Amino acid sequence: MVKKKAALTILSEVFLLLATAILWIPIYYFFIGAFKTRTDIVNFPLAIKPSMITLDNFVYTFTKMKFFSALKNTGIITVVALVAIVVFASMAGFAIARIDRKLFKFIYSALITLMVIPFIGTVIPLVVQSVEIKTYNTLLGGILIQVGWNLPFAVFLYTGFMRGIPKEMEESAYIDGCSMYRMYAQIFLPLLAPVTATCLIRCGIGIWNDYLVSKSILNDAVTPTLMVTIHSFFGERRTEYGYAFAGIIAASLPIVMTFVSFQKYFIKGLVAGAVKG
Amino acid sequence: MADTNTRNDSIKGRNRKYISFERKRTIAGILFLIPTLILCGMFVVWPLITVIKYSFHSWNGLSATMDFVGLDNYKALPSTEGFFDMAKATTIYAFGTTTLIVIIGFIAALALDKKGRYRVNRGFMRALWFFPCLLSGAVVGIIWRIMYTYSNGVINTVLKSMDLTPVNWLETHGVTMIAIIVATVWSQVGMCIIIFMAGLQSIPGELYEAAAIDGANTGQRTRLITIPMMAPSITINVLTTSIMAFKMYELPFTISRGLPGYSTRLLTQRIYFYGFTAMDYGIGSALSVLLIVIITVISLIQLVILRKREDIY
Repeated sequence: MVKKKAALTILSEVFLLLATAILWIPIYYFFIGAFKTRTDIVNFPLAIKPSMITLDNFVYTFTKMKFFSALKNTGIITVVALVAIVVFASMAGFAIARIDRKLFKFIYSALITLMVIPFIGTVIPLVVQSVEIKTYNTLLGGILIQVGWNLPFAVFLYTGFMRGIPKEMEESAYIDGCSMYRMYAQIFLPLLAPVTATCLIRCGIGIWNDYLVSKSILNDAVTPTLMVTIHSFFGERRTEYGYAFAGIIAASLPIVMTFVSFQKYFIKGLVAGAVKG
Repeated sequence: MADTNTRNDSIKGRNRKYISFERKRTIAGILFLIPTLILCGMFVVWPLITVIKYSFHSWNGLSATMDFVGLDNYKALPSTEGFFDMAKATTIYAFGTTTLIVIIGFIAALALDKKGRYRVNRGFMRALWFFPCLLSGAVVGIIWRIMYTYSNGVINTVLKSMDLTPVNWLETHGVTMIAIIVATVWSQVGMCIIIFMAGLQSIPGELYEAAAIDGANTGQRTRLITIPMMAPSITINVLTTSIMAFKMYELPFTISRGLPGYSTRLLTQRIYFYGFTAMDYGIGSALSVLLIVIITVISLIQLVILRKREDIY
């Protein structure tokens, strides 16, 4: 009986590992492909030998693809948007969680409802709007849209977190004459580290990986972002697989590194957004 | 009597103080909300209202005047080029990705949930399965397009090495749809697994112990405990995955460009086409409203089902 059970466990584990291996074939393929020449990618797609390894693809990507200007643009958009999201969403979440009024409840429900709207459904008026307010083809335009579209989810996260903080703590502070502003800055902000980590990771990955906002609002050569640059570069040189693979690795590295270091917060954020949203 | 009066007075007095304190708090709260309200109002609510407005007008985005045409754009939708192909493709794509992701995700989550001897570290395995979700849709599209290439893509190379006929993945009716569905499943299944695993961990272990004492085998335990207890997670995954599929733009577009013919042109691609290539904002906006309505309906279904379930338990 025990032996049979162990055999079954090992069998199911072998199946799982096999499925995992199949899942990882594309990743393995593009990862080793980035270090091979085009001929080797085509002729020996899944093999790698020390004699094949070359860094030419990376050199080409970094010099010819305008990689660093795209990296700078994506970096600026991501960092500025994240700072704005965290500051505004924590303020809004604080107000909604702590003031027991119909108006605030209504605003909260309205914001939650906005999480449903698909971005592509409003892309046409957004482009018209960005031309009108002169943010078309500027980083500011991209930042504003990212902040606006990420705020509902971020407010949802912060409100949920702050509702879990006991009220007694602030009541004593109010009795001592503490104002709402000081309360937010000195008592709440330090407590928010876990939810802020979740929010940064969840919104950060979306903004860094974004293609559609950049493609429609920043579609000029002046302010390309990473994903748009790689995409259009691949479109121009459809047959140079190695360049595309090298670009993909370089552009995805920051996200992968964050995932590896903060896996716990990552998974927590994903579950929080999905189960209650 | 006198006592009650004084008490009333004191309550009133306290109330007055309380109100002014409350009012101060309300004003502060509104100030705290202003940045969020302005940004969401300008960049989410305003475009949402405008897209509905555009859908009742005829406009090419350039001319100074917009003509009000009532419901004409909506009436014209069925006669726009390839509308029914688009409807068919979008339905097949959404249905196919959702079914496959939920079934594969459920099985994988069950396998990944089991801990114990002879098993590889679960945190590590979960990370491996989640990994593709980290990549941008644009990037996933490029990788799979290269893999599907007819003459020198890795899939056909492997098929040839096994003496099988290579398939023209990107230019065969029906096959290309399967190709984009497989790529989407690959990139999105990790998200579904994470939600299923959270659901599995919330099932109390006592249920399984009790069932084991009563002599239930593994199959019975899965069928009678796991699946009913997982019903909320299944609902969430079915609905969020279908929303994801209706919204998906860059991944399928990068792989197939909507080809061959109209067979993989999804609703999102048609919105982009009318908005930025054909410059027909009226039709593009009518399609956008259609997409928003579809997604809102799915979300409402989700809300109703989950609420109902909360009432029962």
